[in-house]
Amino acid sequence: MILTQTTAFLVDAYRELNARKMFWITLGLSLLVVAIMGCFGVNDKGLTFLGWTFNNDILNARLIPPEKFYIFVFANLGVPIWLTWAATVLALISTASIFPDFIQGGAIELTLCRPIGRVRLFFTKFACGLLFVALQVFVFSLACFIVIGIRGKSWVPDLFLAVPIVLLFFTYLFSFCVLVGLVTRSTLASILFTCLFWLALFVLNTTDGIFVSQRAAKEIAVERAERTIEVRTRGAERMRQRLIDAGQPLPAKDAWPEGAQSELEAISLPLLNARKELAEASESRDNWVKYSGWVFLAKTVLPKTSETIALLDRAILTDKDRELFSPPGADDEPAPGDEEAGSGRRRGPQMGDPAVTRRAEKIIRQRSQWWITGTSAAFAGVLLAIGAWIFARRDF
Amino acid sequence: MSTAAAPTPWAIDLTHVAKTYKGKVQALRGIEMRVRAGEVFGLLGPNGAGKSTLVKILMTVIAPTRADGAVLGKPVGDKDTLRRIGYLPEHHRFPDYLTGRQVLDFYGGLAGVPRRERAARIDPLLELVGMKDWANQRVRGYSKGMRQRVGIAQALVNNPDLVLLDEPTDGVDPVGRRDIRQVCQRLKDEGKTVFLNSHLLSELELVCDRVAILVQGLVASQGTLDELTRDRRYYEIDAALEPAQARELWASLLPAGLALTPKPGSADVLRAETAGASHAHLGFVELERSILRLGTTEASHVQPFVDALRSRGIALRALRPVRPTLEDLFMAAVTDPTTGKALPPGAAKEASR
Repeated sequence: MILTQTTAFLVDAYRELNARKMFWITLGLSLLVVAIMGCFGVNDKGLTFLGWTFNNDILNARLIPPEKFYIFVFANLGVPIWLTWAATVLALISTASIFPDFIQGGAIELTLCRPIGRVRLFFTKFACGLLFVALQVFVFSLACFIVIGIRGKSWVPDLFLAVPIVLLFFTYLFSFCVLVGLVTRSTLASILFTCLFWLALFVLNTTDGIFVSQRAAKEIAVERAERTIEVRTRGAERMRQRLIDAGQPLPAKDAWPEGAQSELEAISLPLLNARKELAEASESRDNWVKYSGWVFLAKTVLPKTSETIALLDRAILTDKDRELFSPPGADDEPAPGDEEAGSGRRRGPQMGDPAVTRRAEKIIRQRSQWWITGTSAAFAGVLLAIGAWIFARRDF
Repeated sequence: MSTAAAPTPWAIDLTHVAKTYKGKVQALRGIEMRVRAGEVFGLLGPNGAGKSTLVKILMTVIAPTRADGAVLGKPVGDKDTLRRIGYLPEHHRFPDYLTGRQVLDFYGGLAGVPRRERAARIDPLLELVGMKDWANQRVRGYSKGMRQRVGIAQALVNNPDLVLLDEPTDGVDPVGRRDIRQVCQRLKDEGKTVFLNSHLLSELELVCDRVAILVQGLVASQGTLDELTRDRRYYEIDAALEPAQARELWASLLPAGLALTPKPGSADVLRAETAGASHAHLGFVELERSILRLGTTEASHVQPFVDALRSRGIALRALRPVRPTLEDLFMAAVTDPTTGKALPPGAAKEASR
């Protein structure tokens, strides 16, 4: 009987989707996006679009193989921008009404009077709501699979990982949307509050990105200061030896400059300054580690939308592939003392510097998949458990 | 259909069903009700009496505060029993993207009816409710009456032993009402129990074997129409008299100790209650202009009054035994006997402690 009931729900969900214009509009737009993606390409000179070539020194087949180009576009533009922003908004608009309509007076009685438990009913209906996104992502992935296969001459079945990943991402939002819909019985409120929730997650994620970048910048600053101290220490030792060899007196302790902790620092102002810089950078780094730790903690209990989508990037692009698309100079680590060269202006590592970006990405990528998916799914699970509890106890 | 038929003649046997909503509104205050298997049972009551709440409790849509009793031999709220029950809610809303056929298919599926059985049942059911020609049209294009017909069909798609229909004739034209009555009769002939919840007393009167009247969350009365009207039947004598003459004549004929006094709530009606007096063979005596009503079913009790008219040479315009209609019963149940006014609609507020 469970199978019969579940099948009835799935068939009904399909009929409902079939009747919704938004489903077909979104599907059509998805295919249009894939078609546009297929119109682009790379050759030895640069980027191509429908036969036209736009010369480019970075995007060309000499540096980026065509199949990698398409996979990169899929993983970094198609999924994160189209599927997880534009298509998700359309999906939310389409599915937000599912629960408010479902619990409407006159409709809910027809379902609750069947030999099916309320909790199972709730979760089955929820799963049916996900069907919208599952079908959209599957069709999009399939179209991309075919386009990349034909245009890039590479058949990459891993593209279909987008289906579970985007579905998981949508589950976070949809579980919130369902809970709001259940409490308020309003489609409009569901959409509005879900968008606000999504915005809050976006802000938190952006804050996390900024804090992690700051932390990375300060870590690099500390490392550079430590390397500078090594160089300066060797220089100071050589100077001290020269003074001894020349028979000149070393400065007495009471004559050491302010802040000097050793004889070497007393005779080498650059070493003393480097020590001060290290102390400042260390303190700053510790602060940013603390701040980013707080954000990390907040993120632990909330769904991680961006990081969930980034799992696709992790899955289908290797580090080597990513290097193809890294901005030039990403590996440039200034040598000790570089800051003093040229203009003589001292400039520490900043957000946006390739090295900082690279370090920040590394920190974020070190976060385990289980932390990303497990804690996020747990959040959705808690919301759904609350929703199921309300649904099971409410008098309709 | 059912393999585990309950060893009881009752399809519904409620001994105490109560529901108090948030805000201390007592929708049901201890319902005692029995519905025989194989009968057509009517539940009536004014707005807010708790009829729909009771039906929703039986269908597990609402959780009762207390529910002692059984439905088809199983405790109230047993989900598995719902396989044997069909239900048409009041103001039901089908998904408007479905066709009539798909509605039956979907709800049949939810009721656990295997696909082949559904396929075999859908066409005969659509034919039964007169919707076969519209089976493939979407529900959004249906009229109210057509939706009601499809609603009845979906309530039967699981071949239930008990069918609960909440306002089944709501929005249905006279032809449709007749068809629905015929469906109820047919279900009864097939041995199924039909539970009707309706405001249309004349409809219920035509089709129901037994009825219950719900007032302010309590069963005011229940039984067959004969049982319910037994004490309310009367003879009506209409004489060719002016109202003042009639009052004088009939008052003089009344046994000593009986006095006609204005009936509460009805200025034109005089009434004398005889219960407990030496004239208890007359349940009541009531005079409305020239019409005298005598609360008895025995012609011999009426004879002295007819003889009095004859002896005075007064023409007798009409003499007839009267059985109250369901509407009379209903009105009596919802009328406050002390004030003669209708009881206020709605459920009762819980008494403050």
